[in-house]
Amino acid sequence: MVSDQEIIEGCAKHERKAQQMLYDRYSRFLLGICVRYASDKAEAEDILQDSFLKIFFNIKDYSGTGSFIGWLRKVTVNTAITNYHKNLKYRYHVEIEEFVSAETGTVSFEEDFFTSDELYMVLNELPAGYRMVFNLYAVEGYKHKEIAKMLGIDTNTSKSQYSRAKAVIRDKIAKLEQLKKSYPVDSKEFVETKES
Amino acid sequence: MKETVEDKMLKELFRRKLENAEVTPSAEAGAKLMSRLSGREFLRFNPSRFNIWYAGTIAVAGAVLALVLTNHKEESSTIATPPVQKEQAATVISQNPMAETVQVKSEPGAKSTSSSLKITGKIIKSEAGKIVKPDGKELIPGNNTGGTHTSVNEANLIKGSIGDNKSVSGLNHKYVSLSAASVTEGCAPLKVSFKNLSAVYDSCRWTFGDGGSSVEKNPVWIYDVPGEYKVTLTITGSGGQVSASSLNVTVHGHPDARFEFTPVNAVLPSDEISFHNYSGDAVSYRWDFGDGTSSELFEPNHIYSKAGKFTVKMVAVSDFGCTDSVMVKNAFAGTGNYINFPNAFVPNLNGPSNGTYSQKIDETAQIFHPVSSGVSEYQLKIFSRRGILIFESNDVNIGWDGYLNGQLCEAGVYIWKSRGTFLNGETFTRMGDITLLKY
Repeated sequence: MVSDQEIIEGCAKHERKAQQMLYDRYSRFLLGICVRYASDKAEAEDILQDSFLKIFFNIKDYSGTGSFIGWLRKVTVNTAITNYHKNLKYRYHVEIEEFVSAETGTVSFEEDFFTSDELYMVLNELPAGYRMVFNLYAVEGYKHKEIAKMLGIDTNTSKSQYSRAKAVIRDKIAKLEQLKKSYPVDSKEFVETKES
Repeated sequence: MKETVEDKMLKELFRRKLENAEVTPSAEAGAKLMSRLSGREFLRFNPSRFNIWYAGTIAVAGAVLALVLTNHKEESSTIATPPVQKEQAATVISQNPMAETVQVKSEPGAKSTSSSLKITGKIIKSEAGKIVKPDGKELIPGNNTGGTHTSVNEANLIKGSIGDNKSVSGLNHKYVSLSAASVTEGCAPLKVSFKNLSAVYDSCRWTFGDGGSSVEKNPVWIYDVPGEYKVTLTITGSGGQVSASSLNVTVHGHPDARFEFTPVNAVLPSDEISFHNYSGDAVSYRWDFGDGTSSELFEPNHIYSKAGKFTVKMVAVSDFGCTDSVMVKNAFAGTGNYINFPNAFVPNLNGPSNGTYSQKIDETAQIFHPVSSGVSEYQLKIFSRRGILIFESNDVNIGWDGYLNGQLCEAGVYIWKSRGTFLNGETFTRMGDITLLKY
């Protein structure tokens, strides 16, 4: 097993083998981040590629003291933000989600109840601005002040976008939960027959 | 902004679930990246290639200069073009590190004379040998028709990878399946309801680890045999992607609950009952004596406070918590309650007694009485053969001494009738005849 340090050194020398190893080792992890910031997987993979190019060409910027994964994450998140800004001009039309905060009762938010794919889908369906703020605040753990700076928006905008994103997500999660709970366990109606 | 508990939970859900979630990139993404990378690397100003670049540039300059000088006398018209060509090549170098993708193919487009083209072709060929090889893509330097060879080839590679990325479009997650089971550990026979928690998929298949399988979405499976089973859910996505998810189901065996008690023909409430435990594979026991009391001893003793119909139940619990139970219905009835009458007796000729007797002492059978156990209500009537009532007792401990009003009755046959109830509530009626003997 080649250590991260060796890979980093190899990448700094622009060795193709080291770059490939870095990609093989971290592409899944970084794509996991990218998918959260994109509206589909194609966009996520574009962000991933841009991120890796940045990583390969700027690997010397990594000081070697902090967590390498943390650095990779940061580069990727920054790339996602760049991508968001780049595409912003095409996104002047943002759908206003209906805020039918249905009387779904309590949403369980049970961790094991949802697949990460389903949560990804919830994020994918969000308007881009909401998605950015929600990701940066809830998942990445940045403060609203920092997010405002990163996205070039007002701190209050960040806060209000976050709270609106939350409402939409809560609604989606509740619907998803209801849908999933309605799967009968015993019913034969849901038999998936595999036609040969 | 105040954060509610629900807000926090929502945040936590996404953070825990997605902060370190992984998604496998498509093969196209990797290939595309690598070709973009090689394009960039190719244009990067690399000190290790410095000498070749410059040697090449110098060679070009020299060759051009030589050409210029040789052609100078013959064709004055072509003098101007080679420097232009050179200038364009230079702009390629300075421009491209900024560019996003490799799009150099159009650069050396200015065709001037055949002689200058040959020269540039030579230069780039040398670069090709040096740079493209690490990429693993072999170039055939033989059939290049011009200086654009290398860059065209790069462009083709990129185009190729863009070309077959059909599956990149749209939401194309790897279908990470999530399977769930109602129980993952339990006692045989274990009924497990499996649940396919994936929202989107094309078809699915469960294998239960004991040879069984199902294509139902949410199958129910019963494990009869104790053991460990690996259950696998295989999901095929609409694009043909296959992903599997598995979980383990542990099925534990049962203990074996058994007991006996003594005395077998116990009379309640007087007798103390001893329970004997013959259970196997169990670590703890719960006894329910049926009278509202219970015990957790291995072999308890119990005294009932009253007679009645009691169902004794014992539950044996294994170390995992699997249980087996055994129950004896009406444990002390039918066995402990009886009443039997003799068919002859020999009265004491010395005079009447009060009829009391002891079952142990009355060995000479001077009193007519039943041998009984567990009798609560009792009535005995004795009639002469002509139907006259000559004796009546409402106490099972008082029998007939053979006397009527102080006079010994005649020897002969008498009729008796007895009715009553046992302690367990069971009623009895007996009748028969008794022969009075005189010696």
